[in-house]
Parts: sequence; structure tokens; C-alpha cells
Amino acid sequence: MAEEQKKPKKRMTATQAAASIGPMVKEFIAGAVRAKAEGKQKLAYTFIVCHHEEILRALDVLPFWTENFAGVCGAKRDSERFLQRAESLGLSRSLCTYALCGIGFDQWREEQGQMPPESPWGGMPKPDFMISTGQILCDPRAKWYQASQQYMPDVPIYNIDLPYPLFEKDQDHRDVWGYYHKYIVKELRGLVKFVEEQTGKKMDYDRLRELVDLSDRTWNLIHETYELRKAVPCPMGTGDAMNTMVPINFMMATQDSYNFFLNLNKELKDKIAKREGEVENEKYRLLWGGGLPAWFALSDFNYFNSKGASFPAETTYRMVAPLYEMDLPETKDPIEHLAWRWLGYWTFWYDKARKRPGSEPDVERLISFIENFKIDGVVMHEAFSCRTWHVGLIWQLHQLGKIYKPIPVYVVTNGKREKTYRELPSLILESDIIDITSYSEVDTRNKIDAFIETLESIRKNRAD
Amino acid sequence: MKDDVFAKVENQYVNYGTRARELQKQGQKLIGYICSFVPLEIITAAGCVPFRVRGDIREPITQGDTLMETIVCPFIRSCFDLSVKGKYDFLSGMVIPHGCDSMVRSYSTWNYSLNLPYFHFVNTPSVVKESSFEFFEEELKTYKKSLERFTGRTVTDADLAKAIRLHNENRNKARALYDFKKSNPPMISGVELAKVLTVGSSLPVTESNALFDEVIAAVSRRKEPPLKMGPRILVDGPCVDNIELMKIVEDSGASVVADTTCNGTRDALPRTDEGGDPIKALARRYLDKINCPKTYRDNKAGTFEGDAEARFGDIGAYAREFKADGAILYVYKFCDPFGFEVPARKAYYESIKVPLLHIEDLYSAGTIGQLKTRIQAFLEMIG
Amino acid sequence: MQCVLGIDMGSSCTKGVLMAGTEVLAQVDSLSGGDFKLTADRIREELLARAHVSARSISHTVATGFGSKSVSYADSMVTDISCHAKGVIHLCPTVRTAVDAGDLYSKAFRMDEKGNLQNFLLSGKCAGGSARILKVVAKVLQLNVEELGDLALKSTKKVEFNTGCAVFAESEAVSRIAEGVSKEDLLAGIHRALAAQLNALAVRLGIEKDYALVGGGARNAGLVKALEAVSGFLIVVPSHPHMTAALGAALIAAEAGRP
Repeated sequence: MAEEQKKPKKRMTATQAAASIGPMVKEFIAGAVRAKAEGKQKLAYTFIVCHHEEILRALDVLPFWTENFAGVCGAKRDSERFLQRAESLGLSRSLCTYALCGIGFDQWREEQGQMPPESPWGGMPKPDFMISTGQILCDPRAKWYQASQQYMPDVPIYNIDLPYPLFEKDQDHRDVWGYYHKYIVKELRGLVKFVEEQTGKKMDYDRLRELVDLSDRTWNLIHETYELRKAVPCPMGTGDAMNTMVPINFMMATQDSYNFFLNLNKELKDKIAKREGEVENEKYRLLWGGGLPAWFALSDFNYFNSKGASFPAETTYRMVAPLYEMDLPETKDPIEHLAWRWLGYWTFWYDKARKRPGSEPDVERLISFIENFKIDGVVMHEAFSCRTWHVGLIWQLHQLGKIYKPIPVYVVTNGKREKTYRELPSLILESDIIDITSYSEVDTRNKIDAFIETLESIRKNRAD
Repeated sequence: MKDDVFAKVENQYVNYGTRARELQKQGQKLIGYICSFVPLEIITAAGCVPFRVRGDIREPITQGDTLMETIVCPFIRSCFDLSVKGKYDFLSGMVIPHGCDSMVRSYSTWNYSLNLPYFHFVNTPSVVKESSFEFFEEELKTYKKSLERFTGRTVTDADLAKAIRLHNENRNKARALYDFKKSNPPMISGVELAKVLTVGSSLPVTESNALFDEVIAAVSRRKEPPLKMGPRILVDGPCVDNIELMKIVEDSGASVVADTTCNGTRDALPRTDEGGDPIKALARRYLDKINCPKTYRDNKAGTFEGDAEARFGDIGAYAREFKADGAILYVYKFCDPFGFEVPARKAYYESIKVPLLHIEDLYSAGTIGQLKTRIQAFLEMIG
Repeated sequence: MQCVLGIDMGSSCTKGVLMAGTEVLAQVDSLSGGDFKLTADRIREELLARAHVSARSISHTVATGFGSKSVSYADSMVTDISCHAKGVIHLCPTVRTAVDAGDLYSKAFRMDEKGNLQNFLLSGKCAGGSARILKVVAKVLQLNVEELGDLALKSTKKVEFNTGCAVFAESEAVSRIAEGVSKEDLLAGIHRALAAQLNALAVRLGIEKDYALVGGGARNAGLVKALEAVSGFLIVVPSHPHMTAALGAALIAAEAGRP
């Protein structure tokens, strides 16, 4: 409870690009409030990573990213009152705290007939419609808006079902992805029809095609830009990536997003030429191997930095992959292409995983990052309210340790000195995405300290 | 005097899985499941035996925690813990459906840790549209093919039709058992029926049918009801695979007359249509006829009340049919599908004027004391 | 003579060790109390008095534990996990894996033959597995925590204790006693549950022999026995196990002093 009263320490960014994000997000939210008041654009609550931005932007709909708003409340350490509001309605604190924050806020706003007092950055305006997704990834994304709709029954919902085939040991995903594709295409076309009805506009497919092409190019640019972080010292870390995820997830299919990454790309190349790292004396390179960040404690990344640890790579919010490595079926239809891109992204690591005994796509991805980015240790964050991104992390580390042992060490057995190989050290942090009552700075810093000591002792005792 | 059949049920409820182990020794293939969304007929048609995996509230979760996070649904954690401890080592395989995040996001953990010869994921759609049925029919064919690969034999439409018929018989018999609860007081208690259904879910469908017949006969012969008249309670919730909750209710002078839980009516009652394309019929039963919060049903009414009626109307129907005086909404901590619906369900129960007790629980015998207090206070309130 | 000082300020107990070379000159432990700074000062005074040396002879002090920031005279701070590892190796050179049932949370760690940390795990929140559960049950049974282990060894009937959560533990303990379960059987059940949680952490790290139990919990014979039963390993228990972190801190202080 005491943590809520402390003002959040602003995280120091490594790049100027990341530093520019805060005001951008503030403008999204304030801009949405203005747009609602002006009434010129339709406003839709929606979720990131649905491959539908192109459709929304082609029909001039302003998306309001409810997960982002909850994250902002978390970062400002002003989510507790909304979480409590949700609890008072009967919702359990063990549920996704993004959703609790959103539902609590919606109910409060609707009951009062106005924004709750001192709403962060102006608050969430009531939407014209809501686009949720029953995709296989996350239950709250199908249940959240349905729960909010109880308090605003005049706001319609379109729920896009977006499945992808799970990794099966005895089945190639290409054997089934034909009928997956057919279904996803129908769901997306259904979305187009819904938004046309809500806006009274007709889809301009040429414009859609342009936007899809733009986002494709942006995906590839993002991948190439992040690949620059392989440099030693690493010019940009996960802390900054938690800012730069904004143009990936909230601004996709806009020229602004593409330009942002052009600038970031240039900035990173400059830093690499000057050998400027995220950390002045880089001693340890860490992989953020899973888990959404604790939005109220991003300054912990600076704490890692202060101990000489940089984060060249992360899996979190890395929601793009290079299209030129995907081998997707060709199509001129933009919606069909979106559906292939969806499937291509989620099955990206399947082929590689099959080639290594005991591997599995998420584990294979970890190994790929470890090797390509010269990683010394893996950090995971378990956020208690999110099963979507946090169930499976323990198993991934376990399996990684089982099948991948890259650190050479000497051991003395029965007086004889032998060389053997060990798994990477790992650290599991625990708190939540926005519920700060779950977080203890003292505990977290203590764990980080112990991990740094571990990394140091491995560094000193490596057999190479 | 206790009927022999109830003694048999008690034995198999307490020593859950002994028959399955016998069958495995005889060369049968047992396929485990933990969710109502797994199409059982396809397992039966492939010549295998579906087996519902249970947790154990008296077994502290230990080994399971070395591989699976504690934020997973506690029922699923317990099932996993028992599985890695070898309690279900007679299984040849498991099928996990798209039921909820807890089981979907732990799919690899289950698959790799148990390392059974057969493991399959059935991707049940989240919504109910025509395109969803088209997709699901293909997905069911994929599932069928995987079982064909595993067993080495083709599953024909005739095999499916026969399996559907047998499972429907099971559902009819289960219905007959539920009908015994319509009287006041009921002629079969909630605890008894729960044990019978639980044991049934551990047997091949033909043996389960035979068992249900025996129970129906025994209950028909009863002169005295097993419980006194008291408040009639409906239990609403997810997988409640043990009798403790119902036992508390019935030891306190009330009776559990109806339920909308997974191990109860969700598993036991919806029938698969017979006579047409079996895959189409199965797609319809397992996507639309099962009513679970995980399935998103479009709000066609445009009002909350209309939406609630579409989503929860089956609860109201059971409450009316079995004349419920009150209901218990029993939800596990960390359960997303049910957890998000609590406010809407509460509003629905209010609209049908059925007093409701909402309980959030872990999956542990350690909370029985707390449950007792709450339930007794509720019964006093409505009694 | 040159000495080094290691001080482990836990949330409930503080331990201090004064060493010269590899010889322990003095060791002290006491309750941390409410004023950590005061306790830290007192511990140093006590150590110096027992060893008959003056503060000037201390070349380096390492502080560790929950209250380490309150040690005004500390030259450096190291986490208790690293200190435990160094301390354990010094006392039991064959140990490579250790668990500690802490009051706030439990830990498992692996080290090499020099006591260098290789990997570690802390028990999660709300996963139970901390020794707090023993304090809760001691209160219910009106016993001292120190008595629990020996009583558990006298158990004659196996009884399952279902609750990992210290919050529910109290009501479950009360219910079981009311049902007629004996103190000894109940305690054995609780120790089994706690040992299983501890062992689960070690299993996740991968257990390499020898396997030790350290920290205050190692003085609990019931816990040691339960850990052996659940793990299938012979559990090494260092002498003065509650002092391992303070000892390790002193050893690290000695290393810091060396050129």
C-alpha cells in the first residue's frame, strides 16, 4: 500500500526516440477525448495485436486502446481506485488487472454521467462501438468489453475470433492452416461489414491495400531496427522497448509509425558508430524472456543498468516478425493477406522448433535471441493477474535449461577436473502489470542484486 | 440399508480410476480430458475410452508447482500435479480443448511434461457463427485423423453414429437421474448424483450406461427420500469435481436439486443430433449446445436484459424446472471465464428472483471451514 | 590482528560473525527488534567484546539480509543468497545445492566448489512455502516454534495438511485439532507440506549432490527428516545453520580485503 503513495520515479531512457513516446501517448488519449466531443470520427474501444488497424484506419475510425489506458493508470500509480471499483461490482482481484481497471473506470463514468474525478490524462471517453477478440490467446479480450457493456448497453460489440494452430509434435501446421485462413478471412470481412454499418461508410479497398502494404513494410523495418541491438555495447534496452512498443502496437498502419522507426534506426546506427551503449560499462547482457512489465516500476530497468546489465532483446510486445522470412502464400486481396500474416506470425518458430530435439516454439525463440544477441542470463516477470503471457514461463525456463547448456565450466569430481556445460542463469521477478500492491521494491532489488552476483560469479569462473 | 450399487459407486468414487487401470492392463487405450469441450464421441468411435481427469482437494500441490505457475486455475493445477505424480499413469493420451487460458497457455507444459504417446489440442471457436461451425467441422476432422494415426484404424461415419447413439443414451439416463430431483424432497441427493456422474465419467460409455441403469432402478425402488425437505439449491460454476460443496449444503438441511457445472449438467445433458452428418452434429453440440462463459454469444437483443437472457437462460430454465429456492455461484480464484461474468450473473439471478450466494474459492480441503460458515449463513437467510 | 565482520540482519533475527583468517573469533545472534541500526551497533560491540579486539582491527564489514542498509558501519552489502552459498561451502565443502526456509520466502540455490552462486530461485508470493506457517501453527498450539520439529518426529499417523497458505493455515490447524488429530501428527503433516514446497524449488533448479538445508529451519529436526523423505536425498545440515549467511558475509569480507 505504501508504494502507491510514492511518486513514480521517471525512467531514464537510452534513446531520444523512447523519450518522445510519453507525450505521444498523452496526445492519443487527450485526442480521443477531443474527437469524441467533436463527433467527426467514430471511436472504438479495441485491443492491440488483432491485425485490424488497417481496416479501422481505412474507414477513418479512431481506435482507443483500452489496454494502453490501463497501463497509463498503472504507470502513474493511479489504478487502485479503479481496481477497487471493479471489485465492488463482484470481480475478483485475481483477474486481468487491465480489464479490472477498464471495467471499473467504465462503470464509474457511466454511473456518474461524467469522467471520474482527475482521470489520468482526461480519461477514457465512452466509445461508439467496441471491437473485442475471442482469439485463442487471451480470455479477458473476449470477456472485458462484454462485462463493460452491462454498464453501457447501447454500445455494440463485434467479437473477432482469431485462432491459430497450436504447436503439435505430430502435425505440421500447414496441414491445417488452410481452413484456419478461411475462417479468419470471414471474421475480418465480418469486421469490415460491422464497421461499415457503424460508420455509414463503404470500405475503400485500394486504401486498405495501401495501408496493409505500409504495415508490412513497417514490420520489416521494426525487425531490422531491433536487430541493430545485437551490437556490443547494446545501444537500446527493453526499458526503452516498453516505450517504443507504442508505435508498434498503437500506431501500426500509419506513416508516423514508419517514420518513427526510420528515426530510431538512424539513432541506433549513430550510437553504434560511437560505441554508445545503453549502459556505460556493459558487463552483462540480459534477455527479457517473458512477461508484461510492471508498468509502475519501469525504473527497475535503470536499476539493472546501474549494475552494468543491459537488455538487448525481449519477447514481450515483439508483435512483429520479418515477412520475408515467413514464406506466405501470395494473394492480392488485402484481407486474405492479413489473415496469412496473422498465421505466419504465430507459427514463425514452429519449423525451427521441430529441428531441435525437445524444443518448442517459445523455447526456440529464447535460444535464437540468446545466441544472436550474446545473452548472459534470462529475466522473466510473472504478473499474477495475467495467465495469457505468464503461464508457461516456468516450463520454458525448465525446458531451456534442459536442452540448451552453453556455459562452459570446470567441475572437480573425485579429485578430477572436467569441463562441462551449464544452462544460463535465470531470474523470475514477481508482481503485476498495474496492481502495485503486489510489488515490493526492496524484494525486487534484492533479487536483482542476487542475480547480478550470480552473473558475476559465472563471468569470473567460465572455462573459456 | 444401503443399495449395493451405491456401495459400488462409493468405492469407485473414492478409488477413482481403478476400472480404467484394469482396462489399460487389458490393452485398452484411455484418453484423458479435463473439460466439457472435448468431443467424447470421437474418442469412443476410435475404439478408445474417454477418462475424465480429476483433481484432489486433499492433495497439496507440490510437483506440479515445479512446472506450472500458481496463477493457473487451481483445479487445473491439481489435475496436473496428480498427473505428474503418476496418479493417471494408465493414460495413453490426453485431449485439451480451447476452453480457457489456464489450459491453453499450459498446453506445452502438459504435453512435454507428461510425454504421453497421444496428445491433441482441439481448437474450439470462441464465437458461434456459421463460419465458426465450418471451421470447427474441419477442426473435428483433424482431431479424428489424429486419433486414426494413433490407433492405426479408420474412424467411419458409422463408428461415429454408433458412438453418438451410445453417448446420447448416457445423456438420457443422466436426465432420468436428474428427474428424480424434481420431487420435494428429491429422491436422489445432490451428493449421490454427483458421485454417480463422476464415476460414470471414468468408465467406457457402455459401462457407464449400465451403471446409470442400475442406479435408476435402485432409486425407483426407494420408498423414502434420502433427505428431509429443506431449501432447494442450484449450484452454478465450472469444474466442481468433488462432493464437498454439495455435502456442506446437504448436511445443513438443504438439498442440491440442480446444477450448471461442468461435471454436472454441462457434461451430462446436452444431446448430439442423430441421423445426419455426425461431424456436423458434433460441431453443433460441442460449440453451441454446451453453455459455458468461454463461448461468446453475440448480444442480439441490444439490451443487457436481453443479452443476459440469451447467455444465462438455461440457468433460469433449470431453476424453474427444479424449483430452486436459492443458488450458489461457485467460482475458483484465477478463473477468467466465470470470473468476468460474476456481475452479469448476479444481475441475472436478481432478475429471476433467485437469492444468490457468490463464493470465490481455492481448490483445497483447507477452505471447507470457511465454506461451511458462508453456506450456513446463506441457508439461514433464505430458509 | 586483522579481522573481518559479517552481519546478517534478518527481519526477525540478526546474526554476526567476527573472523580472523579462517578462524571464527566470535559469533552472536539476537532478535532484530524494531531498531535495526541500534541492533547492528550492539551486535558489533558484543562481538568485539567477546573476541577482546577493538573496532580498529576490523578491516572490512559485509552486511547482508533484510536490514542490511541499516548497518551504518558496513563497507559493502551482498545479498543473503550469495552469503549463504559462501557460508555453506566453508562448513560443508561437498554441498552444491541448498534450500532455506525463510520467514518471508524460501530460497533454493546452487553453487560451485568455491561457493560461487550459479543459479537461484525464490518461492513466489501466495505459493506458501515460507516458514511463517510454523509460527502460525505454533501460536495455535501454544508452543514455541523451536519445539515443533521434535514433536513432529513423534508422529504415529500420517495426516495430510492441505494448506500452503499461511493465512488459511490457522483455521485448518484449529479444525484438525478439533477433529481429534494429535499435535504430533498435525505437525508432521505441516512439516511434510513445507518440505515438499522447499524441495519443489530445488527440483526446479536441478538438484546436484550434496543437498543441504540451511538457515534457522535447519535446526528443526522434523523439517530435515521431512525434506529427506520427500527428496530421497540425505540432507546435509551445517553446524550452526542459522549462522551460515553471517559466516558467508564474513568470508566475503575477507576476500574483499585480499589484494
